[in-house]
Amino acid sequence: MVLVLALGDLHIPHRAADLPPKFKSMLVPGKIQHIICTGNLCIKEVQEYLKTLCPDLHITRGEYDDETRYPETKTLTIGQFKLGLCHGHQVIPWGDLDSLAMLQRQLDVDILVTGHTHQFTAYKHEGGVVINPGSATGAFSSITYDVNPSFVLMDIDGLRVVVYVYELIDGEVKVDKIDFKKTAASTHSAH
Amino acid sequence: MSKGIAKEEEPPSAGVAPAESPAFASLRGVQWRVNLGILPRSSSIDDLRRVNADSRRRYAGLRRQLLVDPHVPRNGASNPLNLVMDNPLSQNPDSTWSRFFQNAELEKMVNQDLSRLYPEHESYFQMPGCQGMLRRILLLWCLRHPECSYRQGMHELLAPLLYVLHIDVEHLSEVRKLYEDQFIDKFDGFPFEENGDAYNFDFKKISDSLEDEIGCQGNTKKVCSLNDLDPEIQAIVLLSDAYGAEGELGIVLSEKFMEHDAYCMFDALMTGARGSVAMADFFSSTPAAEFQSGLPPVIEASAALYHLLSIVDSSLHTHLVELGVEPQYFALRWLRVLFGREFSLQNLLVIWDEIFAEDNSPLNKVSEDCDYFSFNLADSCRGGLISAMAVSMILYLRSSLLATETATYCLQRLLKFPESINLKKLIEKAKSLQILALESNKAPLSSAFGGVYKCTKSPTSSHSVPSGSGSPKTARSLLPDSYWEEKWRVMHKAEELRQNSLGKHTPSGKKRWAERMNFRPSRTESAPSSARNEKCKKEHHSVRRSFLEDLTKQLGLEDAAENGGCFETSNSEDHHSVEAQGDGQNSASKGSISTTEDRCENGSGAVVSEEKSFFPDPPTPPGCSINDHEIDSEKSSSTSNLSVDDNGDLWGRSPEDLQHRVSLPSDDVPRSPLHENESSGRTSSTKERRNLSGKFQWFRKFGRSNVSEETSDESGGTNETAKPPVHDSKRSTADSSVVDASCNSHPTSKGDTMDQNMMGTLKNLGQAMLDHIQVLESVFQQNQGQVGSLDNLSKNILVGKGQVTAITALKELRKMSNLLSEM
Repeated sequence: MVLVLALGDLHIPHRAADLPPKFKSMLVPGKIQHIICTGNLCIKEVQEYLKTLCPDLHITRGEYDDETRYPETKTLTIGQFKLGLCHGHQVIPWGDLDSLAMLQRQLDVDILVTGHTHQFTAYKHEGGVVINPGSATGAFSSITYDVNPSFVLMDIDGLRVVVYVYELIDGEVKVDKIDFKKTAASTHSAH
Repeated sequence: MSKGIAKEEEPPSAGVAPAESPAFASLRGVQWRVNLGILPRSSSIDDLRRVNADSRRRYAGLRRQLLVDPHVPRNGASNPLNLVMDNPLSQNPDSTWSRFFQNAELEKMVNQDLSRLYPEHESYFQMPGCQGMLRRILLLWCLRHPECSYRQGMHELLAPLLYVLHIDVEHLSEVRKLYEDQFIDKFDGFPFEENGDAYNFDFKKISDSLEDEIGCQGNTKKVCSLNDLDPEIQAIVLLSDAYGAEGELGIVLSEKFMEHDAYCMFDALMTGARGSVAMADFFSSTPAAEFQSGLPPVIEASAALYHLLSIVDSSLHTHLVELGVEPQYFALRWLRVLFGREFSLQNLLVIWDEIFAEDNSPLNKVSEDCDYFSFNLADSCRGGLISAMAVSMILYLRSSLLATETATYCLQRLLKFPESINLKKLIEKAKSLQILALESNKAPLSSAFGGVYKCTKSPTSSHSVPSGSGSPKTARSLLPDSYWEEKWRVMHKAEELRQNSLGKHTPSGKKRWAERMNFRPSRTESAPSSARNEKCKKEHHSVRRSFLEDLTKQLGLEDAAENGGCFETSNSEDHHSVEAQGDGQNSASKGSISTTEDRCENGSGAVVSEEKSFFPDPPTPPGCSINDHEIDSEKSSSTSNLSVDDNGDLWGRSPEDLQHRVSLPSDDVPRSPLHENESSGRTSSTKERRNLSGKFQWFRKFGRSNVSEETSDESGGTNETAKPPVHDSKRSTADSSVVDASCNSHPTSKGDTMDQNMMGTLKNLGQAMLDHIQVLESVFQQNQGQVGSLDNLSKNILVGKGQVTAITALKELRKMSNLLSEM
């Protein structure tokens, strides 16, 4: 039972000062085993903060990140699942499912996590899952209006992953849950 | 294998089995369950089965309820409202996830202990199935009793219970093999199955032949019906009958329900089942409300042990008390695990047979007389037997305990109970003491805990045992919650130190100085020795009180063995800490500073030996303040002279130390001119004196320094040639500040590093001491000649006396250095 936190597009300090306090109170060290971050943190302090939550931290480079040495894409295996990580500004049109599916096939992953659109989406597509955790701070985006702070927590348990989505809507934390199951022998996952 | 074990079990328990159910003599599991109160004592098998089934149901319900799988939705489908509560990051303590995380923490603790359980019986206890059962039982019990939570040792109480059940099941399977048909449902071969016209006249013939057949078959198979069996086997069969009361759930010896049964046993044992002795109390650190004393139950129980011991064998009791062996050091482990760690598993089972056979109901509820205190442990037969057992164990080691003079050795003996013992005798003795324990449960309050913290009533005036040993300092608090391994490690380290300083026998006892300081302010007769011992430490460490307290604790941890260990080890500590600061200063060639540091430590050693032989002398405060004045002069010139490179920072600290130290004493004696004259021609001897006097500033509080000062006086008097005082003062400030620095850095350089360099430093120490001694002796000889010529000094007489005592001290030093160099 592995808990993986997926978040990104914080844009601290340029577009937002900090995570919303309600989110911050929920993120305590000790519960989460991995953190994957789509990018645009933007400064080192944010990386250090995330490091205190969990030592296993994976970040890909967003276009506004100060740290230039993050990779463009990253793949990792957690349990039975292969995860892929990318910021998403490289994939055009931004947020387009088919283009993201191309990236998923290219990286050969079951779960693809990208950001940049500052909007939460989760698609089941061709046996895989494409997740966009949105912006954890609700930072301004030029392509989306009404950005709500959101992030994603994945509970990977064997062949099944439960995706919890935490959104801050009107000052309240709303939680939603999505279940994905992976069939054992293939990379395609069924519902 | 189990058959052999079963056979072993039978003889001792056979005599114990209560009259109603002798059939359970070979079934420990059942016997214990009856004794612990889980199963009724009635002879009806049906009752047994019913009660058993009930308890199992309860456990199953508990298990379902408390073992949380967060993935399984508790109330059907999860709607958004639940999700806000039930997500993994939820801060809500009621959510399934937070309970899951709490359970995970508890499980981690339990796993740690389980992995170390009974490594010698690995084949059973480390099996994943067994471990899983143990884990679940412990988890559930702790979740059920959150006030106790999980403590180390609970797993060791549980393990033998499970083992016993396992043995029973194995026994059952063997009986099964022997008496197959009692267990299997075979209805072939009965006459009814023959054709219906068996009832014609031919029947007789057929039935005869059939009966013959059946008879032969039966004879080859088994005896007869159930009632012809051995009552024991009969009981086993009935207990395991799948068609008896409650069906399969009621089968008393069942592998499937071993976990349930073990849980019930464990629960009964821990909560005492409405009886008097509840093991869970021994794990709690808070005093229970209903007890009279404000003590944690384990301490009280240990006091009960000592109380019984004092009645039974007062000499041993006083001996242990004087050594400072507090009962809870060893009794904690004994009681918490019910002697589980002192005996091998088979012996333990025998002992537990006896203990569980005793009734646990409380004997006397309230003691009317408030002057009297009754121990809870001796309040029931079972408790009485437990304390009697403990006392008989102590008595078993009587001779070796009386022979040792250190608390460490005593505890070593007590904590490592010998393997091959005459268990029968031990148990018999315990039984005989049990009566005594129950009767003597009323103890006057003052002496009830005499052995524990207050002054003991035993006569100590004549006691001058040079049992120099600090009891391990780990148990300073009321209830040491640290595990016994920790304590053992500490003591073992202390033992190592003791071994290293082998053969050093400080005469006339540094008695348990640290303990004296912390525990027993009322032991007035040992006050001078304690003062001396404190001084011994103080000469090495800072004068500041609180600092000293911390250091004594550390020292207690590190050199528990005091016979010579104190000063050697503290010397080497200083030595080592000096090493830690600079590099290899004991290996010379750092100029004069390093050699003086060497000598300063040796000088301190010398002083120690001197003071040891001087202890009957009364303190003379004026004598001590000489050094203060001297230090004043030193201090003025000290700052400019502190230019030692490698100890730069430490030197920087030393002036303040000096100042601090100087400011403490009150009176001043105009003897300073003499000390100015101390600046002598002979560097080594004056440095010596300086070192000695530098050390004495620490003694002024206890006024031990009279004679030493006189030695320095005399040297000052004799050495007329003037060396620049600045130079010498520099040296002595260096010395004093070295020791300061060493003591300042002492807390940082812990004893563990000390151990490593112990040997090397001791050897160097021995060598340096030898040189030192030679110098001192030569000086004395010269001074002896010169003293006579100085008739203007009125202190000549004093000087002479001081000289003599100094020489004797030197002789002792020499002996010590010989021993050291032998190592």
